Amino acid sequence: MRHLDDGALRALTHQDAATVKYFAEHLAHPCDTCEAFLAAHDGPGLLDGQVDSLLLGLAPRASQEAPLDEVGLARVRRAMQPQRPGIRRWGLVAGSIAACLLAVVLLPRMRAAGSGDSTAPWTGQKGGAARIALELSVAARDDGGALRRLDPDSVVTDADVLLLRYHATEAGTALLFEQRAGEPPELLGEFPLVAGTHDLQGPQGLAGVSLAGESGLVTLWLVGSAGGPPPAEAVRELLEGENPTWEHTALAVIRFDVRVRNGQNRP
Amino acid sequence: MGASEGLTEWVRRASLGQASAFSELYRRTRPQVARLVGGFAPLDPDEVEDVIQETFVRAFRALPRLKEPGAFESWLLSIARNRARTRLERKSSTRRLEEDVADPEPETVPHLPEALQLERDIEVVRQLIAELPEGEEKRTVHLFYIEGELSAREIAEKLGVGKSAVTMRLERFRSRIKRELLRRVLAGRWE
Ligand SMILES: [Zn+2]
Repeated sequence: MRHLDDGALRALTHQDAATVKYFAEHLAHPCDTCEAFLAAHDGPGLLDGQVDSLLLGLAPRASQEAPLDEVGLARVRRAMQPQRPGIRRWGLVAGSIAACLLAVVLLPRMRAAGSGDSTAPWTGQKGGAARIALELSVAARDDGGALRRLDPDSVVTDADVLLLRYHATEAGTALLFEQRAGEPPELLGEFPLVAGTHDLQGPQGLAGVSLAGESGLVTLWLVGSAGGPPPAEAVRELLEGENPTWEHTALAVIRFDVRVRNGQNRP
Repeated sequence: MGASEGLTEWVRRASLGQASAFSELYRRTRPQVARLVGGFAPLDPDEVEDVIQETFVRAFRALPRLKEPGAFESWLLSIARNRARTRLERKSSTRRLEEDVADPEPETVPHLPEALQLERDIEVVRQLIAELPEGEEKRTVHLFYIEGELSAREIAEKLGVGKSAVTMRLERFRSRIKRELLRRVLAGRWE
């Protein structure tokens, strides 16, 4: 008896009449051999996508009302920018590096720029939301794995990865943005904040910001709120504003600038 | 399906370069892609997230060349399955490193079956599920595909088995559906 194999699949793709007729009949009954082959091989055509679309479409469709995963979309958008090959490397820093970072506890702290005494609530939040104050310290890991603490406006190289450590007065959520001179801030990720001093890490692990492909002034913005995340678009507009109004919101906004010296341009 | 009709319009707009259309496509289809990729047992949550991202990057880059907007979801899910498989093969040290599985070419994506045909296909699948003998496989298929709320991992916990057992049951069932669908396609071509 003939079963599906690469040759048969090719013949079916080219609509060979005898093969089509044979398998239209053969596949009318369960066949472990053919089913195992179909499970391990793609196609023909878009059949796999059609099967998955059909099966995943059986459940009540929640996707019409699904909330937009802004962080995921921002990552897709960044990865689609071919002129910045290093950017997509952002995200994961391996566990061994986490251990390195934990050894560096004497990082200096910056005062949060946005944790003043303003009382006007963040418009996106219910009134009376708790204020959160944030402090941030930044370390650079060079390509040899060595860590050094950074002061604001430090010079770094594009081989460095920036690692962040924060101190939060409340639990909450932070958005991390990266901004190049003359460009709008780009969302790098959303992170849960735990009261106390912690490494900035998301569900994917410790956050590291790769500087590959960067040069000149790069600004990191860490924007924290007590409770859920502030809407990323609104925060981006606030950060871009001529006169940032975040000083009158319940957000804590920290800015940290570095100057990236591109290693390839050095004499 | 009303959902895919709505999608088609957003696919057209995205192919014209409307940024908001990409967001809308992402919002609507990410849950399906995440469910598909999350069903691959050996991938951990980070890897699942990476595969989802890679899927959308590839699909969005090639989308302007997609000749059949109505095929977007099937095409996207084909890419997702390819990406997940490629990632699994790279991860597995026991298997030889295979060539990167090619994505289906957007220019050659065939016309989708008529809406009526699709409804019949859905009926056939529901029937096949109903006809499954009572047991663990049927329960698993019901939880994952019909109720569609629990992840493969959660189903494994609920049934007290490993995640790979759940994945194997789902794959087994899926290959049966694939055989049945292929048969129907072939029968249609022959007639
Ligand atoms: Zn067979």
